[in-house]
Amino acid sequence: MTIDLSNILIFKTNIQTEFDRLRIKNVLDASQKVLKWNIDMDDVDRVLRVVSDTLTAEQIISVLEYVGFECAELE
Amino acid sequence: MRTRNADKESLVKQEAIEMLVRDGFQGFSMNKLALASGISVATLYIYYRDKDDLIQKIGAEIGKQFMAKTLQGFNPQMGFAEGLRKQWENRAAFALKFRKEVACYEIIRHSRHGDDIVEESLKGFKTAMGDFTHNAIKNGELISVSVEVFWSIAYGPLYTLLRFHEEGKSIGGRPFKFSKKVMDESFQLVLKALQ
Repeated sequence: MTIDLSNILIFKTNIQTEFDRLRIKNVLDASQKVLKWNIDMDDVDRVLRVVSDTLTAEQIISVLEYVGFECAELE
Repeated sequence: MRTRNADKESLVKQEAIEMLVRDGFQGFSMNKLALASGISVATLYIYYRDKDDLIQKIGAEIGKQFMAKTLQGFNPQMGFAEGLRKQWENRAAFALKFRKEVACYEIIRHSRHGDDIVEESLKGFKTAMGDFTHNAIKNGELISVSVEVFWSIAYGPLYTLLRFHEEGKSIGGRPFKFSKKVMDESFQLVLKALQ
């Protein structure tokens, strides 16, 4: 499968623990608009990577903020 | 639209290899790599899912490169002495030419990614080498010993000499340089032991 690179969104987050990750997982897995996602728990910025044809960075940020996390797009 | 930039990608790979060799697995980070490569962290994450993904891809690529070079001019049907000699030449050439890649591959191989990478990148290689030794045993050119004993005798001396070369000195700090003469000498002894 090839992914259009412009459909990949990258964020800096304050996700800390595996429990945090599971909370995010529940939300992102539930959305059919999210094709793929992962969080690099090894990185200081806990980088969240989302692949989606339709969602905008703002929409993802608001979802994460709704669940109670800080999230900012990395340029 | 963002597009993949092949030059940038190969620069990132080179930087990643250098960083892994210099700082080790623990000292490696996506942030540092982005900074060293002159790209943004976001761009790096567009190419690679995470640190593990990047390290696995780099390991697999070096493995493939190693396999291609090592099998050059070699085929499993070769006589034992001729085939093993070719292996020595190819392996020595690879180690001497791609020093950083070899060091990096060793670091990755000994990390938790090791098994996956060896499985993935060396599939065809293992089959070729297996066929080669089986033929040699069948033809009475090689004594039948366990894989571990075979490997340590067949390649151990070569890699020891290459390590001396890499360090620039041998036991007791004696200056050392790898040469064809040294290789030929030890190769003859190895043959004697295995035939």
